[in-house]
Amino acid sequence: MQVDSHNARLEMMKILIATALFPPDVAPVAVYTKELAQRLATTHEVHILAYGRFPEQVPGVAITTVSKRHPLPTRLVLFLIALMRHARHADRIVIENGASVELPALFAALLTQKPYILHRGDRTVPTSRMRVLIERVAQRYARRIIINLPTPRPERLPFAALTEETETSYERSWQAHIRELEDALAYA
Amino acid sequence: MHNAEAEWKEYRDAELARATSVLTALGFTLDAEQPHIQGERFLMHALTTKSGRKLILRGSHARGRVIIKVTSDPDGKRELRHERECRRVLDEIRFAYGIFRSPEEILFSESNGLTISVTLFIDQEQAFLDRAVEEQFALTLAAFKAQESAHATTYEHYRLVEGTFGSIDADGYIRSLRGFITSIRTHALDTRTEMFTAVEQQFTENRDRIEQYCGFLTHVDFVPHNFRIHDGNMYLLDHSSLRFGNKHEGWARFLNFMTLHNPALEHALTWYVEHNRSPEEWESLALMRLYRLTELICFYASLLSKTEGDLHRLTKTRVHFWSDVLAARLENRDVDASIINAYRDTRDALRSPEEKRRQIGLH
Repeated sequence: MQVDSHNARLEMMKILIATALFPPDVAPVAVYTKELAQRLATTHEVHILAYGRFPEQVPGVAITTVSKRHPLPTRLVLFLIALMRHARHADRIVIENGASVELPALFAALLTQKPYILHRGDRTVPTSRMRVLIERVAQRYARRIIINLPTPRPERLPFAALTEETETSYERSWQAHIRELEDALAYA
Repeated sequence: MHNAEAEWKEYRDAELARATSVLTALGFTLDAEQPHIQGERFLMHALTTKSGRKLILRGSHARGRVIIKVTSDPDGKRELRHERECRRVLDEIRFAYGIFRSPEEILFSESNGLTISVTLFIDQEQAFLDRAVEEQFALTLAAFKAQESAHATTYEHYRLVEGTFGSIDADGYIRSLRGFITSIRTHALDTRTEMFTAVEQQFTENRDRIEQYCGFLTHVDFVPHNFRIHDGNMYLLDHSSLRFGNKHEGWARFLNFMTLHNPALEHALTWYVEHNRSPEEWESLALMRLYRLTELICFYASLLSKTEGDLHRLTKTRVHFWSDVLAARLENRDVDASIINAYRDTRDALRSPEEKRRQIGLH
């Protein structure tokens, strides 16, 4: 079983990651998604679909954006269209939680019959009933739900060197996270 | 005495006499020494944000030491109202994960033709620049992170903040930069023309890089005399200079300021950006530093016609010094330490005694 899992991880997949936040956004989940794309791109073909206009680039990763400057209904429809277009070419879809991604992802899954893996990177509790409902439905239809977040990247500071232990623990947490995600992707 | 200075002194004395009686009736006592209305204060005006004439006074009240901002000038009144509104809205922005601390408001009054804003004086144990550079670094970085955490990205965010703080995008910056350069060429004919052409070219060619980091809350005059530190907390003294724009606009102003006042802190902060932020951020910061330097040169160039004697010579020296810094930044290098030291010597020799008093403990 371990060997199978390892081989599945090594197989190159076309992965679409849909997210509401991506740098230059500063929220932790934006920083996480960029790092995730960077790491997955070493073995897979990665495409990011994010809200925004001028995303920070990741070598070897294609990025499509939908502007947030449109009123909410318009941007949701534009995101859905983009999601459906790119989902056709993807082997696996990973979505970062949040109503503005979950809602289009639900429609896209229904229309394209492509399942998705839901990552709950943003732990903010939804404030409206509608958001709670969308979150519940999105979780129900997700093929897998991943809740773990790796340790945030430790900052390099000019007056204090990073300890080896901090760097190692950061690397380990990412390796474990990628392993969990690749296993989910392999069997989704 | 030059017209601009004479005009300011006339305004200041009349305003002070009028304000003193009103403030006394309200239970405030003004200090005998008022350093913030002395020296080069008459030359201070913002180039890019709403600003008018006002007096900044020190005083006391039953609640303790206070800072009083008072004005009868319509632009000054607008500025005080705007600043108050910024302070209020800042507390309400839902998409801001962190906010600044503000000194407690004791009074805001608009009567007898005067607008008066009184806040508690924030007593700081030490001036910012007297602290250890490690502490300066930690405090500054925390403040910039707090600003960056307020990011207006959606249509709804912009509708909420635009009316209060104002916002600027890459095209707005390019228009302003062109205005600065035209003004510099008008006021200071001997200034290096090719250098400003290169700045404009670099800036316009990288329009998208500027736009990429727009939409962030930024304090355009984030320098030590606009904040005070008490019990490890930073209190923002000037809220009127907050707007939504390129997130490195505030960084750039601060770093350029530290080129002169504390190069060690400047280096620590640039090291941090280089090692922790994306290459795009690094480029955006470099571009905004060019922008803010051009703005500063424009500011001093515009003062050449308003000054005379030692102050005129000092203003001319400032135009040349900041042009040297700009030339260095354009080549992505630090200005030579000998240039900084020579400028400091000239500045100290040419500053008036009143201005020297105003500078004590300011930063």
